[in-house]
Amino acid sequence: MNVVEIMTKKLETIEADAPIYDAIEKMIDRRIRSLLVKPKDDKDVHGVITVRDVVTKALAKNLDLNKTKVSEITSKPLVCVDKSMDIEYTINLMSKFNITRVFVNDGKEIIGIISLLDVMSAELIKRAREGHRA
Amino acid sequence: MLENVFFGSKKEQRVIEKIKKHIEILYGAEECFKKTIEERDKEQLYCVSDLEREADSIRREIVSMIYEGAFLPYLRSNLCRFVEIVEEAFDLLKEAASKFEYIGQGLDKEIEEDCIKIADINLKMTEMLLIAFETLFGKGDLREKTLAIRIYEKQVDEIKFDLIKKLSDKEVKNFWHGKMLSDFVDFLSRISNVIEDASDYLHIINISLR
Repeated sequence: MNVVEIMTKKLETIEADAPIYDAIEKMIDRRIRSLLVKPKDDKDVHGVITVRDVVTKALAKNLDLNKTKVSEITSKPLVCVDKSMDIEYTINLMSKFNITRVFVNDGKEIIGIISLLDVMSAELIKRAREGHRA
Repeated sequence: MLENVFFGSKKEQRVIEKIKKHIEILYGAEECFKKTIEERDKEQLYCVSDLEREADSIRREIVSMIYEGAFLPYLRSNLCRFVEIVEEAFDLLKEAASKFEYIGQGLDKEIEEDCIKIADINLKMTEMLLIAFETLFGKGDLREKTLAIRIYEKQVDEIKFDLIKKLSDKEVKNFWHGKMLSDFVDFLSRISNVIEDASDYLHIINISLR
């Protein structure tokens, strides 16, 4: 199965200069665990901010969430898979880097995200379909 | 041997085939409905009501055949309930189709995309329900099929959550259009709940077969 078949196309983004509080609000409102952080300029690259980053890098250190910028706790570079790759490759990548989500790219463009839950769901559905009609 | 006792005779086999046919018709109606939304072609909607009528007559046949003596008495009510739940999915689909007939062209692109996604997942769920039903009377692990159905249902829930947010941000210019749109999304997204209920019934039937 190809990564495009299981990826979530809807990418929630945030500006690198936005306060962490904005990122938290967005994650809670959208019920998601990560946000794609837009590059600051042409030389910059995309990053990701996760709930884990917020808890371990901001809340645990008692940072002022209204004054600290998202860019200060953003993880970079993104771990990406090309849109032509299959799920097995993605699983190996997640396992190798011990990460719970990877982004899907089409050239330079980020077109989707795949979480561990997406991979698990896709694998279980695949197993349930095995030996049955397509 | 045991298979013969529970569902091996001709009567039982005929009921099983009819129930499969009933689910296949639901699949056909959902496929047609998805195509109608994709192509924004209200003219194709007749297929939903046509297939619903066909399914209704098959449901009556199934229930009659069951109470004429197919299957052991303790299995009959659960099998009938399963068929009725599948019929509820038809009712919801028919309601969604009638609302779509009203809103048709007036569906926002953004909302339309989510509705197509839900229609597609409903289709996959129905296919999985058929696989699960075949597994119940054949070989394989029913548990993994019902889990797949639950996974699909969660996906619909997620889309529905987004969709309601998008809808609530839209300005309602006309009461009836707003109501029809809201009802359309509601009926379309409830189909997955009903299919999940049907798969739960398969689980109950499976336990009672042990």
